[in-house]
Amino acid sequence: MGAQLLTFGAAFLGSGVESVEALTIVLAVGLTRGWRAPLLGTLSALGILALLVLIFGQLIVTRVPELTLKLIIGTLIVLFGLRWLHKAVLRSAGVVAMHDENRAYVQTVESLREDHEKTDWIGFTLALKGVFLEGLEVVFIVIAVGGTSGGMSVAVAGGLLAMLVVAGAGVIIRKPLAQVPENTLKYAVGIILTSVGTFWAAEGMGVSWPLDFVSILGLAILYFVASRVAVVLIRRPVFA
Amino acid sequence: MRWLQAAASEVIGLFVGDWFQTGISVAILAAGWLALPRLRVEGAAYVLAAALAVQLVLATAAEARRKKA
Repeated sequence: MGAQLLTFGAAFLGSGVESVEALTIVLAVGLTRGWRAPLLGTLSALGILALLVLIFGQLIVTRVPELTLKLIIGTLIVLFGLRWLHKAVLRSAGVVAMHDENRAYVQTVESLREDHEKTDWIGFTLALKGVFLEGLEVVFIVIAVGGTSGGMSVAVAGGLLAMLVVAGAGVIIRKPLAQVPENTLKYAVGIILTSVGTFWAAEGMGVSWPLDFVSILGLAILYFVASRVAVVLIRRPVFA
Repeated sequence: MRWLQAAASEVIGLFVGDWFQTGISVAILAAGWLALPRLRVEGAAYVLAAALAVQLVLATAAEARRKKA
């Protein structure tokens, strides 16, 4: 039950953050050029992404031995999580600017106004590309956490629910979801993914953890403390 | 074609920000793969996690120093 909750939570949070970024692009295109083309682009991207989950999810679960799967996917999740955590630390320390959905929205709208003379396939392509590229991360998170924990359906449910919640919020407010604490969420998901990835990679190496999956909590504390140490170190005035 | 290239670089970008730092993370995991099963000590995997955590601190500090310079 605990492991399934973790799988669902990781898929939900990771997918939610990426869905917010995809929604910003779709809203910018839709409110500037009309809804038909960007909605078609979004649906096409979602179709391709669903196909990727279906093909790779099935291949991974049915063809790869459990330990090998844990080692490979665990390693990939560690690299993926560390990358998110790395960015989150630099943002928290003020070295890199916080991701701002309002600014991303304004930039996309401005670039679309410049292209106003062109035909509407631009709206379709922009939405397709935006949703597909942001969705690739969702696909990876869902396949990785679902495949290694044996809870693919739980991970898919988490990912889908996150997308529905974000899409629903977008339909209601028709503005970028700037109030979502996206950077904090990415920080949290970075810690969860790095912890889960380390846990599975070590299990794939044939090592057992004390207290089994409860160790993930200890790993999360370790990575959180490390990330705060990094932020404090970077913020020090003598740091240059 | 440009679209495929963007997708490919996006996929690589999921895991690799800086090739050197990614290489170190992979080296730590490879060392763990070689050493941990031989140790047979419960909780030894935390050493692997600690090494990755130290790598995170050093890598972010190094990048921050580069950006501030």
